[in-house]
Amino acid sequence: MDITVKESGDVKIVVFEGNLDTNTAPAAEDEINGLIDGGTLKLLVNFEKLDYISSAGLRVLLATAKKLKPSSGDLKICCLNATVQEVFDISGFASILSVSSTEEEALGSF
Amino acid sequence: MSDTDKKFTILAVDDTPENLDVVKGILTPEFIVKAATSGAMALKIAEKQAPDLILLDIMMPEMDGYEVCRRLKADEQTRDIPVIFLTAMDQTTDEAQGFGLGAADYMTKPVNPPILQARVRTHLALKQSMDELQSAYSIIKRHKERMEQELNVGRDIQMSMLPLEFPAFPDRKEFDIHALLKPAREVGGDFYDFFFISENEICLIVGDVSGKGVPAALFMAVTKTMIKTRAADDHSPASIVTRVNDELSADNPASMFVTLFLGIVNLQTGGFRYTNAGHNPPYILRSGGNLQCLDQRHGPIIAAVEGVAFKETAAELGRGDTVLIFTDGVTEAMDTGQQLYSESRLEDLLGRVQDRQPDQLTNSVILGVEEFATGAEQADDITILAFCLDQDPEHIEHDRLDLIAKFDLAEIDRVNDAFNQFAESHSISASIKQKVNIALDDLLNNVISYAHENSQGHEIEIGFDYSQGRLVITVSDDGIPFNPFDRVGPDTTLSIEERELGGLGVLLVTELMDEYAYQRNRDSNVVTLQINTETPKN
Repeated sequence: MDITVKESGDVKIVVFEGNLDTNTAPAAEDEINGLIDGGTLKLLVNFEKLDYISSAGLRVLLATAKKLKPSSGDLKICCLNATVQEVFDISGFASILSVSSTEEEALGSF
Repeated sequence: MSDTDKKFTILAVDDTPENLDVVKGILTPEFIVKAATSGAMALKIAEKQAPDLILLDIMMPEMDGYEVCRRLKADEQTRDIPVIFLTAMDQTTDEAQGFGLGAADYMTKPVNPPILQARVRTHLALKQSMDELQSAYSIIKRHKERMEQELNVGRDIQMSMLPLEFPAFPDRKEFDIHALLKPAREVGGDFYDFFFISENEICLIVGDVSGKGVPAALFMAVTKTMIKTRAADDHSPASIVTRVNDELSADNPASMFVTLFLGIVNLQTGGFRYTNAGHNPPYILRSGGNLQCLDQRHGPIIAAVEGVAFKETAAELGRGDTVLIFTDGVTEAMDTGQQLYSESRLEDLLGRVQDRQPDQLTNSVILGVEEFATGAEQADDITILAFCLDQDPEHIEHDRLDLIAKFDLAEIDRVNDAFNQFAESHSISASIKQKVNIALDDLLNNVISYAHENSQGHEIEIGFDYSQGRLVITVSDDGIPFNPFDRVGPDTTLSIEERELGGLGVLLVTELMDEYAYQRNRDSNVVTLQINTETPKN
């Protein structure tokens, strides 16, 4: 899996490419934790190039949301493919996380 | 009556000592007569000395006879002592009030000695009969409860020994099996079992133990265990039954016995060898529609006589043939007019059924019997086992991918990559691929993390079977027994703060796949997943 980080104002945009699963989740978590430890409060995860996400990936997203919440930070997610959307619906993440269909829309919602 | 020698004690209550003397004169020496000259005194004696009968005057100072009677009847200790009012008050309304308070009788003074004696005797006899009935009733009740409890325990043991989960072998496509046992309220003792004795031989058993309750259930347990133990290294039905019969008959103090049908099917050749030990004959429903009754007898009931050499018959099962083994609870089910369901009704039904899939077939038979016996109490257990050798798998286009993985999380990627190649070569859509990737990621993660404390040298077998648009995935591991689907998934309606981090894997697997099943085999866990690749699941 490839991870790239972009910036847009005070929002850090993390783009995951490939799969977010058992074997890639630790690296994803490290990357995100690094950003939060560096003071990032506004985080946008872009799933445009993500193939699928398993529960290990969901765990990272939930942990991130929990970390940002107390410091008034915000986690937003955009660009889910149909399978990732289905996983979000099954897990209830679609209703507890802020999900947008495009990156622009997500950036505008911070 | 048992204790006619015992002298009964009568308590006579009257505020006039002369009246008491008269009563005493009449009832002594046949009875012991105690006297009380006031209501309060009467209550005291009644409570302390428990007289067998009370003769009670009504008009007394301070507490009248009605009040005394009311208090006697209100007290648990004295309420059952018969009370006869003995009074000068001869109005019908007085009498009615007396009876209304629970008095046994009402007599007016002056007393007629023989009549008083007779009435006292009558009421004492009545009371004694009542007491005896009461104690007999409580004994019967106690016995009945104990018996029912024993029957229930027996029933629980019986049911706990049956394989009840179907499909029983979701990873085996070359046959299908289904069985059901409908217990009768009281008599019972049916059992069934099926298990592999080698890679390609399955043993089918249906039996009926004489008797009921815990002894029958335990006997059944012993029988089943012996058969299974014997069958492990002896693949001849005749030999298994012969040896089990010898063992059971040698030590059978309760003289119980078992009717048993034991068959072994070779799943590759269709060879079917069986031994019938006093059991009612099963049927083979041939795929062409013919019905064949397996009416050979190979020996008597088992556990009765030692040293019997049982025989066996060899038959052939073709693809699509179904074997139906059952107990006499089916054919001897009775309707309200005491008519038996009988072989002929069963054969008639078997000739008519459209769907011969084992689960459909067992249900059709039980429904047929139930319909016939509507309104009548089920007298005996009903057991039906159906086994079908499925259509030759060779005739259906199958594509398989079999993989072996080590207990290492990195292996998940290798498995998913191999599956993705397999999927691409069969033009399976991207979204199905993704769902399978997610399911495998979560399932294998679970297995690899929890199956072994030390997984060195252990392996996981993963099979993909793709035919007619249907993808069947089996994951089997030799770890500790673990059914991932037993666990309750997390509450997905909670907020970010309330939700816990783990537990979503199983939920994703069960929701993304069309079907899922878990089977614990002798020493392996087998999870089977199915997904239809042609119409995406919604």
